Amino acid sequence: MITRILATLALLALSAWPAQAHRLKLFATLENGTISGYAFFVGGGRAQEADLRIKDESGREIAQLTTDKSGAYSFKATQAQTYHLVANTGDGHIADATIDKGRFSGASAVISEANDDSNDTSANATTTAQIERAVDAAVARQLRPLMEAYEAAESRTRFNDIMGGIGMIIGLAGLALWSSGRRKAKP
Amino acid sequence: MAHIPDGVLSFPVLVGGGALAAGAVALGLKKIGDEDIPRTAILSAGFFALSLFALPVGPSSVHLLLGGLMGIVLGTAIFPAVCVALLLQAVMFGFGGLTTLGVNILNIALPGAIIGSLVAPLIYRATPARAALIAGVASALCVGLTGLMVAAALALSSADYMLSARVMIATYIPLMLIEGFVGGFCISFVKRVKPELLAGAA
Repeated sequence: MITRILATLALLALSAWPAQAHRLKLFATLENGTISGYAFFVGGGRAQEADLRIKDESGREIAQLTTDKSGAYSFKATQAQTYHLVANTGDGHIADATIDKGRFSGASAVISEANDDSNDTSANATTTAQIERAVDAAVARQLRPLMEAYEAAESRTRFNDIMGGIGMIIGLAGLALWSSGRRKAKP
Repeated sequence: MAHIPDGVLSFPVLVGGGALAAGAVALGLKKIGDEDIPRTAILSAGFFALSLFALPVGPSSVHLLLGGLMGIVLGTAIFPAVCVALLLQAVMFGFGGLTTLGVNILNIALPGAIIGSLVAPLIYRATPARAALIAGVASALCVGLTGLMVAAALALSSADYMLSARVMIATYIPLMLIEGFVGGFCISFVKRVKPELLAGAA
């Protein structure tokens, strides 16, 4: 019996090897004042044509978008504030992401691009703003793949974890059997 | 799909689901006998591992639920089995929330418990081929009911999470077919190799 249980569990564990998990996640990043990203299933493709709502700090809905065939979306942020994004695939998968206000510190210069020339009287200030903008764009561009990899890795189902969970269930069964054995032995 | 995350459902739905699930798990535990413990644990482990794996289907992605199979073999012991597996999935992988645990348990286990208890006596008496057919239909039906329960829990909570009938049909219909085959295959296998495994719930 024990060997049969172990064999079953070993089979289960092996079938679990190419770890793919099931959960909707929303990737969001800020580049040049544009919030963009995609909705994806951990290990299982992108969420196509999912409903995406963007809310401001007070929870007021400012935009309603739909992700495209590759699950991607983009939204032009008009103000430097905290944006809250909620994706909904329509079959019970919901995920959210937040773009913090602090991320805009440099990008705010980009958003008010149109006003730059009129506001900045000194040439020095313009140069500083330009440099800040360029650095911001470069950092955002370089960070994006890293953030994507992190998001994907963060919730990957690991073999060790699956084995740990199965071990926990065996342990619980053992505990239940042991306690019922004790109950029987007493009287 | 059946793993509803935290922060989605409204308070009354969470409390109602939690209370009902607690009662169901307690009932299941009360009725578990010594000889039921190993198979409850095996199916719980199987559900825990298999429902982690998802396939992209249409615009969304699906995974096995095994509600019908567990219900047929375990009867009411499906509630503790699903409870343990979902708790571990939530804590270890963030699949489904802790506050939504009760609702998620009900969504997966309740159709299995009801349909499983209804068809288990039929399967016990049937030939392996017939048993496979009954189990397949029962498994598919459980998936459909789980889908409806997920939809109801979300619709009761907030109009924000309106479900799209198109996506539901596109994802749940293929899953019903897959589950039907898996359930039918497993039960016909058990029926031929170890039919006494099916005696408990019957």
